[in-house]
Amino acid sequence: MQRVKIWDPVTRLWHWVLVVNMGLCWAFGEFMSLDTVRWHFYLGYVILGLMVFRLVWGLIGPAPIRLSHLFPRPSALLQYLKTLASREPSGTPGHNPLGALSVVAILAVTISLTSTGLFIATDDFDEYGPLNRYVSDAIAGKFNFWHDILADAILTLVALHVTALLFYLIWKKENLIRPMITGWKWVRRD
Amino acid sequence: MNKIGSILGLSIATMVVALPASADNDPKKVAIKARQGEMSIRVFNAGPLFAMSKGDMPYDAQLAEKLANNLKVLLSLDNGRAWMPGTSTDEYANDTKALPKIWEKDSKIGDAAKKYKEAVTALAGDAGKGLDALKAKAKDLGEACKGCHDDFRKKEKN
Repeated sequence: MQRVKIWDPVTRLWHWVLVVNMGLCWAFGEFMSLDTVRWHFYLGYVILGLMVFRLVWGLIGPAPIRLSHLFPRPSALLQYLKTLASREPSGTPGHNPLGALSVVAILAVTISLTSTGLFIATDDFDEYGPLNRYVSDAIAGKFNFWHDILADAILTLVALHVTALLFYLIWKKENLIRPMITGWKWVRRD
Repeated sequence: MNKIGSILGLSIATMVVALPASADNDPKKVAIKARQGEMSIRVFNAGPLFAMSKGDMPYDAQLAEKLANNLKVLLSLDNGRAWMPGTSTDEYANDTKALPKIWEKDSKIGDAAKKYKEAVTALAGDAGKGLDALKAKAKDLGEACKGCHDDFRKKEKN
């Protein structure tokens, strides 16, 4: 194992900005009121922007965060799953195959969640997404339905994300949190 | 043949015309439409009050007072018939989002209605007394709307 700089500063900053924005956006959505409802929308726009950035960065950024690295070959995934329960660090230089899939899931759900939010309305506070006026009430209702489902989905994925980090930390004795702060990660030499 | 034909034709024509008319006369459907109409009028009047509170629209004391007063006038409308039993999502899934728990014996709908009435009454008293006064009371109104909708209105479905 050797210490390698895996996560570039931009990706790390992006990650923690996303964490803060997601947390706040959730809170403003869960505890809506007339004077704060707007912030739920604003933070949603920021998160959508972060998603767009991530896709662009995934095309032009450093190797470990490339979009092409997010879709593991089935054989690699199967191989990794076999070693998952072993009590030793994976030492993957970047996202491991399973982690890559979780990133795909989080990105896909977050993009859908923020996009559906553009179309919906909160009639309790007379606040409307910027694209709400272009769809009928019935269609907006469907977007609203999916927005709720996707919000539950992202909460589940975040819970899974944190659980996985703890699993790696405690069971596999691999700290995946520090690399996302410092950039440095212990990596298996191949 | 001509006579039978014309009688038959006339009966069919009468049925075709009468059927939709009688369908419209379902008093429960009329009731559902009536309460939805009342909700629309509430939103129509509360909308600008919310907009002023959020700074989307300049504060206008006269307008604010008028709209809040309209909401108060609506309180005096005894429109209980619009909420007749048998008009929930159980019976009219395509027409209403009013959940059956509204009509349950120990339903908390009365508390929700009381909260709304208090919020509107307070708003009507303060809406014309400056933006800050409006803001505080409009916030309570929004909360009353949301509280009731969260508990008693069916979530949007696919």
